[in-house]
Amino acid sequence: MTEKKLKVDLSVPFPTEREAQIACGTLSVDSEPKRGGVKKELVVKGNVLNIHFEALEARMMRVGMNSFFDHLNLVIETMEKFGPPEK
Amino acid sequence: MVVAIGFEGSANKLGVGIVKDGVVLSNPRHTYITPPGQGFLPKNTAQHHREHALEVLQKALDEAKISPKDIDVVCYTKGPGMGAPLVSTAIVARTVAQLWGKPMIAVNHCIGHIEMGRLVTGAENPIVLYVSGGNTQVIAYSQRRYRIFGETIDIAVGNCLDRFARVLKLSNDPSPGYNIEQLAKKGNKFLELPYVVKGMDVSFSGLLSFIEEKAPQLLQKGEYTPEDLCFSLQETVFAMLIEITERAMAHCGSQEVLIVGGVGCNKRLQEMMETMAKERGAKLYATDERFCIDNGAMIAQAGWEMFRSGQTTPLKDTTCTQRFRTDEVDITWRS
Repeated sequence: MTEKKLKVDLSVPFPTEREAQIACGTLSVDSEPKRGGVKKELVVKGNVLNIHFEALEARMMRVGMNSFFDHLNLVIETMEKFGPPEK
Repeated sequence: MVVAIGFEGSANKLGVGIVKDGVVLSNPRHTYITPPGQGFLPKNTAQHHREHALEVLQKALDEAKISPKDIDVVCYTKGPGMGAPLVSTAIVARTVAQLWGKPMIAVNHCIGHIEMGRLVTGAENPIVLYVSGGNTQVIAYSQRRYRIFGETIDIAVGNCLDRFARVLKLSNDPSPGYNIEQLAKKGNKFLELPYVVKGMDVSFSGLLSFIEEKAPQLLQKGEYTPEDLCFSLQETVFAMLIEITERAMAHCGSQEVLIVGGVGCNKRLQEMMETMAKERGAKLYATDERFCIDNGAMIAQAGWEMFRSGQTTPLKDTTCTQRFRTDEVDITWRS
């Protein structure tokens, strides 16, 4: 079978594993809009948050990733201002 | 002693409030104001919230003079509201809750308004008129639910006012409704408008279409001034609201009425409600713009009640939803 999906793998390093887990916790909650045709999976490995995106069209991929980056930036800014995590 | 912080961002207001056992410690807010003639769109509103969330949060902590470790629970608006702004606000709430190691509570926006109104006014068991840019409901409490007695069947009363303000190109600062209210004070020639009450429900969309279509010619011919039209619009839509509120009060035998929501700070609406309440020997409870208009403290207050009755929301369930009815929530903190 020929592959039809677009795929993107993204790795985002954080200062510590705990912070990567917090980002994963925050960003995993919202499911992608059903009709958007985008799938995303978040996994933490060490201090790195790995995100795997799949979409049927480049347009959908762009929309999904744009909003993901907006949210990721917000999480990082929040951590910089109100972190580091309590022990 | 329980300290709750609340994050609100369901529409164009971004608010963070801190409440400690019924005392509001801080309640800063930042409003996204669009140019005259324009409404606020989800994408731009979400961007506004992302840009201002951290400074408003810092302000809330500074004004309350507390440190994050003193907070017991992080509350946020789950819905109803605009999807993207809700999510942007919830993301900050989720992140700080994890950073600080605090439990979370998902709050229904409408319940936030009701509980804040009850806290500020001390009303025990009022009939609630909840009127804002996105919601119009008459609510009464019975058996662990806030039950909706009547509501709009199309657009909210605030949406009707806001959209008419756009026709007149009124400023959105501080809010379109406020500017309509100021103009209406100077109006006196009444234009008859469609008065649409259907049983316990109201409808504003036909009325809005009517006035949107008529306004330009009436103004051009000089038959009516913008002041007259604002006056006529307010008198008509508020009369409809008073009618269904009075019917709910008669049905429930209630001697208290509480107005909440952004439109609730309109003095003319309060005055009309006061007249009706007096005639029935009932008491009116209303609040000012600090607590009527969307704010963080109301989310903290409703969350505080929920937390004290033993609820928390696991992180994975801290989603947002655009549709979330007032009567879906189990009111575990009232008998």
